[in-house]
Amino acid sequence: MATSRFQAFLNSPIGPKTTHFWGPIANWGFVAAGLVDMQKPPEMISGNMSSAMCVYSALFMRFAWMVQPRNYLLLACHASNETVQLYQLSRWARAQGYLSSKKEEEKPSQ
Amino acid sequence: MATSKLQALWNHPAGPKTIHFWAPTFKWGISIANIADFQKPPENISYLQQIAVTCTGMIWCRCSTIITPKNWNLFSVNVAMAATGIYQLTRKIKYDYVSEAEAAVEIEG
Repeated sequence: MATSRFQAFLNSPIGPKTTHFWGPIANWGFVAAGLVDMQKPPEMISGNMSSAMCVYSALFMRFAWMVQPRNYLLLACHASNETVQLYQLSRWARAQGYLSSKKEEEKPSQ
Repeated sequence: MATSKLQALWNHPAGPKTIHFWAPTFKWGISIANIADFQKPPENISYLQQIAVTCTGMIWCRCSTIITPKNWNLFSVNVAMAATGIYQLTRKIKYDYVSEAEAAVEIEG
């Protein structure tokens, strides 16, 4: 049972013998990079790259769904990347002062 | 002639009516972001992110040609991604390691 399942995975049209598998694996590198970069100070974040990544992953979730063969691994990857990059973008925006209007409003009232 | 060519382009299975056109088109944003970051100091470059950009670019050059529909837009954007990623990595490596070597030479000199 386990052997035949593994065999089926190996020989799948989207299995590890094909780039339909390795393409998304490389894409998971973006998720890993995003997670690691969460440990870095927000000044290190590239706003350009994070913004581009958010748009990119949103569109590629749809792409992964529509392409033949349909690529669930890629879809999961881009959903994860979207989450990570949105968080990175919010850290960057906060560091740049774009989200500080509340604080500025709070100060006079104190 | 021109009209029918535009018609064919418009109705192509990877044409502008489909996500197969727009997803790669916006993926250019990643290469453009990298190009914009060429002006920034290399110490801010993230090794892991740029390695991901480069590897993804290289592998997806191949992926683009074996998915259905075949996607040359995706192919070209991934060539650009691999190129910009490699350049950013060389800047970072040069900054981290070559600078040290030069500093060592200066100390010895």
